[in-house]
Amino acid sequence: MRDVASERDVDSRSTVNERVVTLDVNGRTYTLRLDTRVTLLDALRDRLGLVGTKKGCDQGACGACTVHLDGRRVLSCLTLAAQAEGREITTIEGLTGADGPHPVQRAFMEHDGFQCGFCTPGQIMSAVALMAEGRAGSDEEIREYMSGNICRCGAYPNIVAAIRAVASGGGHDAHL
Amino acid sequence: MSTVESRPLIGEGISRVDGPRKVTGAAPYPMDFSVPGQAYGTLVQSTIAAGRIVRMHTDEAAHSPGVVTVLTHENALEVGTGPASVLGASPPAPLRNDRIVHHGQHIAFVVAETPEQATAAARLVRADYEAAEPLLDLQDPRAEHLHDPWGMDHSRGDAAAALESAEVTLHSTYLTADNTNNPLGLFATLAVWDGDTLTVHDTSQWPSMVRASLAMAFGIPESSVRVLVPYVGGGFGAGLRAWPHVILTAMAARMTKRPVKLVLTRPQMFTSIGHRPSGVQWLSVGIRRDGELVALDHRSLSSLSMEDNDFEPFSSGTAFAYQCPNVITRDEQAKLNIAVPTSMRAPAEAQGNFALESALDELSYTLGIDPVELRLRNHTDVDPRNGLPWSGKAILECYEIGARRFGWSDRNPEPRSMRDGNWLVGYGMASAMFPYFAQPCMAEATVNRDGSAFVRSAATDIGTGTYTVMAQLSAEELGLPLEKVRFDLGDSDMPDSMMAGGSGLTGALGNAVHDACRRLVRSFVDLVRDDADSPLMGISPHDVECSDGRIHLMGCPDRGESYVDILARHGTPQLSATGSSTPPDAKEIGLSLAGAYGAKFVEVRVDPDLGLVRVARVVSAIDGGRILNEKTARSQIIGGTVGGIGMALLEDTVTDPRTGRIANGTFADYLVAVNADVPELDVVFVGEPDRGTPTGTKGVGEVGLVGIAPAITNAVYHATGKRIRSLPITLDTLL
Repeated sequence: MRDVASERDVDSRSTVNERVVTLDVNGRTYTLRLDTRVTLLDALRDRLGLVGTKKGCDQGACGACTVHLDGRRVLSCLTLAAQAEGREITTIEGLTGADGPHPVQRAFMEHDGFQCGFCTPGQIMSAVALMAEGRAGSDEEIREYMSGNICRCGAYPNIVAAIRAVASGGGHDAHL
Repeated sequence: MSTVESRPLIGEGISRVDGPRKVTGAAPYPMDFSVPGQAYGTLVQSTIAAGRIVRMHTDEAAHSPGVVTVLTHENALEVGTGPASVLGASPPAPLRNDRIVHHGQHIAFVVAETPEQATAAARLVRADYEAAEPLLDLQDPRAEHLHDPWGMDHSRGDAAAALESAEVTLHSTYLTADNTNNPLGLFATLAVWDGDTLTVHDTSQWPSMVRASLAMAFGIPESSVRVLVPYVGGGFGAGLRAWPHVILTAMAARMTKRPVKLVLTRPQMFTSIGHRPSGVQWLSVGIRRDGELVALDHRSLSSLSMEDNDFEPFSSGTAFAYQCPNVITRDEQAKLNIAVPTSMRAPAEAQGNFALESALDELSYTLGIDPVELRLRNHTDVDPRNGLPWSGKAILECYEIGARRFGWSDRNPEPRSMRDGNWLVGYGMASAMFPYFAQPCMAEATVNRDGSAFVRSAATDIGTGTYTVMAQLSAEELGLPLEKVRFDLGDSDMPDSMMAGGSGLTGALGNAVHDACRRLVRSFVDLVRDDADSPLMGISPHDVECSDGRIHLMGCPDRGESYVDILARHGTPQLSATGSSTPPDAKEIGLSLAGAYGAKFVEVRVDPDLGLVRVARVVSAIDGGRILNEKTARSQIIGGTVGGIGMALLEDTVTDPRTGRIANGTFADYLVAVNADVPELDVVFVGEPDRGTPTGTKGVGEVGLVGIAPAITNAVYHATGKRIRSLPITLDTLL
């Protein structure tokens, strides 16, 4: 019996194709020579050392890798680094301002919106974008539009409480 | 009735001390570590479930760009097997031979300069197999069975005779699916050798066990191995063992003389680090018409892999959940060609409790007795296995307070009687418990000359709040403000800790911290015993207490002095003390050690046209003993509840019945509860400090999950009149 799945992939193997990519991350510009297969997530983590953005599935299903591209939330595991060229990239490391943590970060601490903390950077990036999208009008809306971010520890009610607190406090446009 | 009293500091809902690092992305998880010169590993896994490898084809992969080496069973280093633990024998060593026992077994390990190169090259590794027919069906008569593998089968009275003569009997069969732990953090290992010394960053809930396993694998002393894990991206049991991929990464690093880093893929998380095994349970209940249980006969068969162990005594809780004179419990495991099962949040009890609490609900309708009342009639304040009183069991308060908060009295007992528009509304409840568990544990406490304290142990914080609650406890014991105390963990060089598992760590580590702090205070008192300049001179260490950074005579805050003054006067930079805890002996203390208890009340909405089930609200009333931190403890309960919702409605690891391949091994296909699946969850803590241990705590990591699934299926019955005995509930069963 042969391993069929492996055979199929033999012909598609690639030699290394590289290109120079310029990335604007958290207000800083980086120029990198990258294997064209490198995702934005891996470029951030492995090349720039910005490991706050997490890899939970690498398949676009868990939301742990959520970052902002030009202010909109995207899954960095489904975005090639080259695709992010010329766009403004914000990661969790770029969310904390000169005056300390973002209101959403503070609310997550106050409401215990996390346990192990692994999904938290993605949750917070989603939550900040969700408010900019005008999707924090009710608990139902928050739950629905936060459902792309899995929290296996099950902190969901506290995540909703944290977002509700910031949204009702009018802090939704802070840092945006 | 009493709710747990909050003493100052302890019990307060203090925000996590590691919160600032977690919300800013600064908390380093095992996958976040890198070292210069590291190479990247990728696993190649078998595509058959049983048989042997005839030949490995690795040339193409080995010549692929950037590849450093390709390891298979033909060139792998022979390694030893790690130590057995309370969870069974150590997992089998990787790449030992040509034998395949499950689909997704590691058959090669590719090491390359970059992750992309390793991943691409791994696709070029091929295997020729001689395939055998895999055993995959739990009830396949050819499967070898282990009987009573944990020596926990129980028998008292004569269950068979009591069932024969019972006024009412119920015989039911219950099925529970394979569930996969799926912590969000992909498991990662980074192995760095320096001569014969090994440093490993590893996703683990038990660094001491990983250290021991690596030492035995490579034949080096434990003191030459250091396992680091300051943060864990969740575990739910998956991190309790030293898995083959951990050994493999260290092996590759040793053979290539390079640091090697491995991050599992999400599909590999389904095959490499355990899962909750599927099971079938047969339960017979004999009961009097007045609701008094007379017989319980609970048997289970659960799935096991060919070459590994799993602690999963499904029926064991039935031996002591209720007062009942005639009980028999029997557990068996069937060896199949599946990836190894392992503990997953509330192992065994999640499944066994589903059967028992479903049966009691069914009987409540048969007998016309309210489900809460039926449980009250079978309550026991003593452990029926040994006749000893429980060290703490406030389940009666759980029922009473939970029912009141929920509004249980509003329930119309008639099934299918409550509606809200088109939705059928159902109320259901279940009892819950998670048994006591502890292992020996150590901690070291230090007070520095500046009056700050540092307490540490080789424990892990998997999201439970260990960093926070142990800092709180240390601060209380030493009489220091919380901001003066740091608790550190996640390093196997620190004093040995037990696993973060079995809801045992908070109790065992808390007692070790308590002991270390007491000993430290005694060291201070000893230091000034003959010191004429000290107000504490000549005072017995038993007669002091601590507050505001000072040690003083009990009840007499003026007669004492500060840690800072004592250390300064004696020219000592710091004092340290090591403390330990061991599980108490029930006979010695005359108490049967109790785990946490709870009562769960659930409202569901069922769409009668679609079979859709939505959980509308949940009330969990919990006896967790003394609660060290109301905020983190509540999070444990809501997290467990979310896991229970997943178990009841969503989670099912599907194995292809012909090939043994897991057919839904991604987060797109294996469904877990997301935010929109979870309503507001009400949690209330009741009871009092446990009498069995010095700190009075009980672990609350698992009791939150137990009872949720049966409370949901019981509510579904109340809503629809349909009794579900198989999890997860699927739409078709309600149409």
